[in-house]
Amino acid sequence: MEMFLYLDEDTYMHRLDPRTKIFIMIASFAIALMFFTIPPLLIIGALIVIYGSSGKTLSNLNRIKFVLVMIGFFSVVIWSLMGQGETKILGPITLEGFLYGIAMGIKIDIMIIAGMIFLSSTKMEEISAGLVKLKIPYRAAFAFSTALRLVPMIVATSSIIIQAQKSRGLDLESGSLIARAKKYIPLLIPVFISVIRGTNVFAMALESKGFGYSEERSSYLEIGYKRNDYIMLALVLLLLIVSIIVKFTTNI
Amino acid sequence: MKEEVINIKNYSFRYKDQKEGQALKNINLQIDKGQFVVIMGPSGAGKSTLANCLNGLIPNFIKGKYEGEIIVMGKNPAQEKVGTMAKNIGLVFQDFESQLFSTNTKLEIVFGPENFNVPKEEMEEIIERIVRVVKLEGLENRQPFTLSGGQKQRLAIGSVLANQPKIVCMDEPTTDLDPVGKLGIFQIAKELHQDKDFTLLIIEHETEEALEADRIVVMDNGQIVLDGKPEEILPQVDFFDNLGIMPLQVPKFFSCLGLATDDLPLTPEAGLAKWKDLNLKIDDAKYQALLEKDEQLEKRYGDVVLSVSGLEHVYPNGNRALKGIDLEIREGEFIAILGHNGSGKTTLVKHFNGLLLPTGGQVKVYGKDTREHSIYEIGKDISYVFQNPDHQIFSDTVFEEVAFSPKMRGFTKEEIEKRVKEALKAVDMEGYEEQDPFSLTKGERQRIAVASVLSAQPRIIILDEPTTGLDFKEQRQMMELVKRLNENGHTIIMITHTMWVVAEYAHKVAVIKDGEFTMYGRTREVFQQEDKLAESYLKTPHIVNLGNLLGRTVLSIDELLFCTQKG
Repeated sequence: MEMFLYLDEDTYMHRLDPRTKIFIMIASFAIALMFFTIPPLLIIGALIVIYGSSGKTLSNLNRIKFVLVMIGFFSVVIWSLMGQGETKILGPITLEGFLYGIAMGIKIDIMIIAGMIFLSSTKMEEISAGLVKLKIPYRAAFAFSTALRLVPMIVATSSIIIQAQKSRGLDLESGSLIARAKKYIPLLIPVFISVIRGTNVFAMALESKGFGYSEERSSYLEIGYKRNDYIMLALVLLLLIVSIIVKFTTNI
Repeated sequence: MKEEVINIKNYSFRYKDQKEGQALKNINLQIDKGQFVVIMGPSGAGKSTLANCLNGLIPNFIKGKYEGEIIVMGKNPAQEKVGTMAKNIGLVFQDFESQLFSTNTKLEIVFGPENFNVPKEEMEEIIERIVRVVKLEGLENRQPFTLSGGQKQRLAIGSVLANQPKIVCMDEPTTDLDPVGKLGIFQIAKELHQDKDFTLLIIEHETEEALEADRIVVMDNGQIVLDGKPEEILPQVDFFDNLGIMPLQVPKFFSCLGLATDDLPLTPEAGLAKWKDLNLKIDDAKYQALLEKDEQLEKRYGDVVLSVSGLEHVYPNGNRALKGIDLEIREGEFIAILGHNGSGKTTLVKHFNGLLLPTGGQVKVYGKDTREHSIYEIGKDISYVFQNPDHQIFSDTVFEEVAFSPKMRGFTKEEIEKRVKEALKAVDMEGYEEQDPFSLTKGERQRIAVASVLSAQPRIIILDEPTTGLDFKEQRQMMELVKRLNENGHTIIMITHTMWVVAEYAHKVAVIKDGEFTMYGRTREVFQQEDKLAESYLKTPHIVNLGNLLGRTVLSIDELLFCTQKG
C-alpha cells in the first residue's frame, strides 16, 4: 500500500524552494477564504488545478477524491438546510443556501487540493529544512514533519486491524448509526496501542542516531531561492494583490 | 593486543514501573575490541534491557534505578547524552518499520551524520560507502516503505553505521524477517566482522546462527548464566533445554544416544562423521514404519473442505500477486505454506476467508464461493489468526476478548460462557478470565488471540506466523496447542518461516514463489529436496540435513532416534 502522498517526480515544482511552496499554499488558502460565491472560487480552483498539473501531482487526486466528494456533498446538504434565503425551492431548502453550500464545498476542496499539491511535491526533510530557514527551531520543524509521517502509518496499521477484526466476525456494515459507531472500538484501541509502540521505537531510534547531539546541524539537502522561485513568488504575490483589489472594489 | 571496549561492573537495573525484582542483576561483562558476540536467552531474560543500557537509552530515555557501572569506549553512557554515545555505539532494533522515517534511502543514511554536523561533501562519500556495505546499491532514491523487509532492516543497519560507531549492537534484527532477509543480515554481519577494529553484538534466539560467533553469552532472569566460545557452549544441550532455548539438534541427538558433552558434534557434517565412527545404522523396517504412519494420517482425512482453482489476484496497482493457484485441502489436514515475503503467501490465504476476492479463478469453502458470501458468512467456518496479537486485542479482560466473536454472532449468554470456557481450556489459559490481556506476555497474548477465534468454533483455522517473536518454550507451547486442535478435528493452514516447526508439525507443505506453487506434497517428500528448497531460500533444520546425508528424510530428533540401530 502506498503510504505517503509524496510523488518522486522531477519537475520544476519539485525543485522549487520549500519556502516558496509554503507561501504558495498559504496564499491559496488566503485567496480561497476571501470569496463566498461560485464564479471566483471556480476560477481559483481552475488555477490551482493548473498549478498542480504543472508539477505532475494530480494523480494523488484519485486517492483523496472520496474525501473531496464527501465534503462537497455534506457542504451542500448542510448549507441547503441551514442557510437563510428567500427563494424557496423545496421545503426548507432555499436557492441561496444551496448555492452557498456549493461555494463552501468548492472552497474547502480548494484548500485540501492546495495542501495535497504541497505534500505531493515536497519531501518531509525539505519541509523541515524550509521551516528551519524560516527561523523555526529544528526540533519543532522536525516534530511537524514527523506528525505528517504518522498519518500514513496510522492508515496502514488500521487497514491490517480492520482485516483482523473482520475475520473475527466484526460486521461494520449493518446496524443503526450508534451501533455502528460502537463497533469501531475494537479498531481504535489496537490502532492506538500499535501507534504508541511504534512511536516509542521511533523515538529510541532517533536518539540512537544522535538526534539532538548539538544545536549545530548540517543538512544534506541544500535549499535556496533560484530564478524559478522568484518568478513563482512574484506571480503569486500579484494574484494575491489582484484578489484583494477585486474583493474590495467589486461585490462578488 | 586485547583492548576492552565494553566493561560492565556489578550492574543492576530496575524499571521505574517494575513491581518486583530487577531486570538486570549484578551483571559483569567485558567485551574486547573486534569480538563478535551473540547474546541469547529466553523472553524476559534482560537481553534488550542490557542493549539499551549500552548506549544510555537506559537510564536517560527509559527511566529506572541502576547500580554499578558501564563503560563503553571510555565513556559512561548513564552520564552522557544518548546522542553523544551514537558515535561510539550504534543500536539496531527489531522493529524495522518504526526505525525508518526519511523520504528516501540517501536521506535515511545521512540523518545521523547531519546530527553530527558533517559537511555535505563528506556525506556523499558516506552514502556511497554505506549502500555498498549494506548492499542497497541502486536503491538510493527509493522511498523506504517500498523496500522489502530485509532491505529495510539493512537500511536501518546502514543508517546506524553512517555515524561510524566502533560497536554495533543489533537487538533481534532478524526476528521479523523471512529466510532471504535473515541471510542478508548474517552476511553483512560476517563482512563487518572482517574489520578487526569493529565489535559486533547480536541478540539472537536461533542457535544455528550462533555458530558463527566468537563468543556466546547466555542470559536468564536478568543474569549472565553462561559465557564462552560457541564450541564450549553449544554442546551443553541439556542446559539449553532447561533454559527454554532451542539446543542445536545434532548434538542433542547424539546426547540422547548417551555421548558425553565434550564428545558431541555440532553440525550435520560433523554428525555424519560421528555416525560413521560409532558404526550406527538406519533400521529400515522402522523407517518404513514412519512412512506408513504418514499414509495412515492421510487416510484419516475427510472430504475436501477448501478448494482453490485457477486462482489469480491482481492488485489495483497492477501487481500480479497470484498467477493461477490450484489447491485442495481436506478435513483434518495440517498444511504449511512457505515462501519469502512478497511471494504471495499472505495474499493467497487472505482469499481463504474472503478478505480478498479472486480477480480470476475461484475459492470455495465448504462449497461456498467466497465471491457470493460475505466474510461474516464464510467466517463461521474458517477463522484467521493474524501474526501480531496486538492487532486484535482490545478488551479489558481476557473473558471479554474471547467472548467477542460469539457475541458478534448473537449467541445466548450461556452459550457464550460455555464457548469462552472451552476456548480458554483449549489454549491452556483457564483461570485468566479476569486478567487484563495487555499485562500478559507475548506468548500468552498469542494464545488469547487463538482462543478468541476458537470461540467462534470454526472448522478451519488459518494461522499467520504463530511463532514469530516467541522464544523456544513459547513456540513449543503454541505448536503443541495447534497440534491438539488439529487432532480434535480442526483443519490447520499455517504460514511460517520457522522450519523446525514445519518439519515437526505440518503434514503437508506448499512452497510458493512469485505467485505460483513450486513445490507441494508431504512434508517428508518436500524436505527431502534440499536443493530445490534452497532455490526459494528455505533451509531445512539440521536434523533433517543429517538424515538426508544418511539417505533418509527424518523430520525430528525423535524420528531419527527411533530409526537408529546401534552397530
